[in-house]
Amino acid sequence: MTSRLALAAALLITTPAAAQQMGTIVGTVRDTSGAPVAGAKVEAVGAAFTLTGQDGRFRLQPVPAGLAHLRVAAFAFRLDSTDVTVPPGDSVSWNVTLKGGVFYLPGLVVTAGKRPESLENVAASVDVLSDTAIARRAVNTVDEAVNRVPGVQFINGQVNIRGSSGFEQGLGARVLLLVDGVPMNEADRAGIDWDLVPVDDAERIEIVKGAGSSLYGSAALGGVVNIITRDIPEGIHGRVRFFGGGFANPPDSLWKFRNFTGMQGGGSLTGSFGTDQVRGALTVGGRHSDGYRQQDASDYLQVAGRGEWLPDPVTHVRFTGTWATHQYQVPLAWCGPNQCANMRGLAYQPFLVDTADSGNHTRSDHGYLTATVTRTPDENTTWMGRASWLRTHFTDFQKAGDDFAVADRFGAEGRIVTTPSPDQTVTVGGELTDNQVTSDIFGNHTQEQFAAYGEAERVVGKLRLTAGVRADFLADDGAGLSAVISPRVAAVLPSTLGIWRASVGRGFRAASMGEKFVTTPVPPFEVVPNPSLHAETAWTGEIGNTAVITPWLSTNTAIFYTRATDYISPELVGDSIQFQNVQRARLAGVDVSLVASPFTPRLTTSVAYTYLDAWELATDSTPGRPLAFRPRHLVTLSADYAVGPASVGADFRYSSRFERVELYETDSRVAAKTLDLRAGWRFGQFDVRLLATNALNYIYTLAPRTLEPVATVTMTVTYVY
Amino acid sequence: MRRFRLLVLTLVLGCNDGLQPTTICDPHLVGICGHITFRGAVPDSTDVMYLVAYGSFPQTENDLFNFLPFPPQTLQIPLGGDSVVPYGLALPNNQYHWVLAVWKKVGVLNPSDTASADALLREAGYYRDPADTTKPGVVTVHSAGTGGVDFVVDFNNMHSVSYFFPP
Repeated sequence: MTSRLALAAALLITTPAAAQQMGTIVGTVRDTSGAPVAGAKVEAVGAAFTLTGQDGRFRLQPVPAGLAHLRVAAFAFRLDSTDVTVPPGDSVSWNVTLKGGVFYLPGLVVTAGKRPESLENVAASVDVLSDTAIARRAVNTVDEAVNRVPGVQFINGQVNIRGSSGFEQGLGARVLLLVDGVPMNEADRAGIDWDLVPVDDAERIEIVKGAGSSLYGSAALGGVVNIITRDIPEGIHGRVRFFGGGFANPPDSLWKFRNFTGMQGGGSLTGSFGTDQVRGALTVGGRHSDGYRQQDASDYLQVAGRGEWLPDPVTHVRFTGTWATHQYQVPLAWCGPNQCANMRGLAYQPFLVDTADSGNHTRSDHGYLTATVTRTPDENTTWMGRASWLRTHFTDFQKAGDDFAVADRFGAEGRIVTTPSPDQTVTVGGELTDNQVTSDIFGNHTQEQFAAYGEAERVVGKLRLTAGVRADFLADDGAGLSAVISPRVAAVLPSTLGIWRASVGRGFRAASMGEKFVTTPVPPFEVVPNPSLHAETAWTGEIGNTAVITPWLSTNTAIFYTRATDYISPELVGDSIQFQNVQRARLAGVDVSLVASPFTPRLTTSVAYTYLDAWELATDSTPGRPLAFRPRHLVTLSADYAVGPASVGADFRYSSRFERVELYETDSRVAAKTLDLRAGWRFGQFDVRLLATNALNYIYTLAPRTLEPVATVTMTVTYVY
Repeated sequence: MRRFRLLVLTLVLGCNDGLQPTTICDPHLVGICGHITFRGAVPDSTDVMYLVAYGSFPQTENDLFNFLPFPPQTLQIPLGGDSVVPYGLALPNNQYHWVLAVWKKVGVLNPSDTASADALLREAGYYRDPADTTKPGVVTVHSAGTGGVDFVVDFNNMHSVSYFFPP
C-alpha cells in the first residue's frame, strides 16, 4: 500500500506536466555491503518520489524529460544526490550505494496525517523505525522494537509515550495502535495486542507523540503507533526466520528457582507471489518460551496473510488478516514475606509466584480482517474506503473459576484527500466503530462511535499551516449520544536554524467497556462497575525543532505540555475498587535527541533524553502528588558500528526510579538500567543476528511485584529469497 | 579506546545496584539472621556444626570459650552439593565482632583441653566486613532481628584453633 500511496502522493505534488514529455528513472539502492536498502525514498526533486522495494529497486515515473535532480534518503544512511538527464519517452538507470551515517530525517514519508507526506512537513513529533532498524535490533516482536524509541517506555506490556498511560493492568491504553492506518485497540479493554503483526511483516513503524484525536479519535490521547506492513513484491519470494536462545539464571543463588536454564525459540515462514495486478503473501510462525521466572511459559502460533489487487493504475485494493493464539501462564505478583514455599527467609522472591496461583494460565485468541480500497481518480484527488474486524477472545483459567471475554471491533472509514491548488491540501472523512463484548466479568454490552473529521493544510510562503477538527459521538448500549470535539491547529516553518513545528490540540479517550462494566474479585477487594464513567480529555501543545547541524550531526527537540481532565483511574471506595473520573493531571517536559556519526561514517550514535514532570493536580479535598508509574528522567543511548557485512551495536536505557507507584508502595524499587548488546553478520541472502538484552542481568521492576526480563541471549537467522 | 573502556566500566558499575536479596528475620527473634552458603563436600568425619558469636574477637585461646549462645546452637548441614540455607540465631543485645560457623569432627571434646579443641574443631566460615572482606564483620543486635548476616561455609577451607593461635 505504501508505494501506491506514495505514488498517489507523487501524483498530487507532481507539477502539471500534461504538455511535457515524460521519462522514467529506474535503479537499485544498496548499502556498502551490497545488500538492498528497502524503504529508501528516491525523489526527483520537485517532480515525483517513490520508495524502494524489498529488493532495493525503484521505478520513478513520470519524470519530466531533461535534467532532474535526484536524491535518495534512508534511515541510518547519508543522503545521496546527483543530476540525471531523463530521456523523453524512455528510461534511465541510476544505481546508488548509500554510506552509513547520520539518520537523515527530512525527506522520509510518513502517514501521521492520514496521508503520505514528508516528515519535515509534519507538525507532530514522529519517530520512524525502519525495517532495517528493526532487523538490526534482532527483536522478535513489535513491542520489543518500539520499546527503545526515545520517549517511549513499556510497563509490563502497557505502552507509554511521554508518560501517557502509566500502568493500569493493560486497561485503557492512552495510545492508539494502527495497522496500516486501521485502529486495532481491543473492543473490550481498549488495550493493545502487540503481536497482531509478525515483526518481519513490518516495513516500518511510525510513532507519533502527543494527542492525535483530531484525526484519529479515541485513545490517541498520548500518541499513535502505526505499523506499516510491507509491500508485496512481484515474482516469487520467501523468507525463513529462526531464533533461539536462553534466559540467564538469577544473579544471586538465593533467588534460584529451577534446576535448568530457561530457553526460548521459534520461527516463521513467509511466502509471497505477485504479478502486476494480483499479489499475495502468507506468513506462518510460532514461538515457545520457558519464561525467565516461575510460571512464565508461553506458546504462540500465528497465521498472517495479505493480498493486493491492482485492477488499474489508479486503484489499489488491499486485504490483510491475521489469526493468532497465545497461551501463557500467568505470573501475577511475586512472593512477598512468607507467601511462598522455599522463601529461604527472604523478604521477597521476585522469581517465584504465590503457589496459590500455580497452574493459572490464559488463552488469548485474536485476529483481524481488513479490506481497503484506495483510488486516485485524478492527480488532485485520492479517496479511500476501508472496513475492518478485530476479534479478541481470552479465557483466564484459574483455580478460583475461569473468566472469559469475547470482543469484536467492527470499523469502517471513508476519506478523501484533495489538493485544490499546489499549496493546499484538504482531508475529510468519516469513521464508524461498533464494539461488542460478551463476558462474565464485563457483561454483554455494545459501544458505538461515529465520527466526522476534516483537516486543511495551506502553505503561505515558507509557513505550512494546518487546522482540523474531529467530532466523535459515543453511545453505550444504544443510549443517548455524547459528543467530544477535538480541534487542532499546527504550523511548520523551515528556517536556517532547522525546521520549527508547533501544535495545539485536544485529545480524548472514551472509557472502555472493561473500565465501565467490570465486576470481578481482586481479593480482598471487589472491583465494581461504574456505568456513568465518561471520556477523559486533554489539551496538549508542543513546540519542536529538527535541525541538521553538520553532515554528521542532527538534533530533534520538543517541549510539550498536556493538561488532562477527568482522567480515568481505579479508586478505592470502601471495600471496593471502581474506575472513576477523578484526576486532573499535568504532563510537561522536554524531549531532546541527538544523532551523530562522528569520527567515521561506520559509527552511528544517538542520545535521547526525556524529562517528564507528571503531576496529579490538587483538588479541594486532595493535595497534588506525582502521577504513578512515570519516570522523571528517561535516557536512551545507542551506538552502532558497521564494517562491510558485519555490525555491532549497543543500547543503554536509564529510567529513573518512579516517584510514586500504586499497590505495594513500600516495596523496594530502583531505577531501571538496561544494556542491550547486538552483533550481526550478513552473507549472501543469510542474515545472522546475536542479541543480548539486559546483558548485565540487572534486576528491577516497573509494575508492582512484577519482575522485568533478566539477561536474555538470542540468535536469529534469516534467509530471504 | 581508553574512553571506551571508561564508558564500559561506568556502565557496568552503574548497573550492579539493582534489586538485591533481602533477608527478613522471624518477627519474634532477638538476634541475627541471614543465609549460609555451603560449598564443597561435607567431610565424612563430620559430627556437628555450631553457630556462635563473640562480643569481641578472641585474643587468647581461653577467649574461645566466651561465645554466645551457650550452649551453642547447632546448624543443620544440607545433605548434598552447594546450597544456601537460611538461619536465625538468638542473641542478647550487644555488638558482635565475630559471627562464625564451627565444624566439629567425630570425637569426644574436652573443653579444658585446648589440644582436643585444636584436633576436633574448625572455623568453617564467618561473617565478613562488607567493606573489607578479609576482616570479620561487626553486627549489632538491638531488641530485634538483624538481617542480612550472610556468609559462606567452605568445607575445603576450614581452619583449626592453631591457625588463629599458633603454638
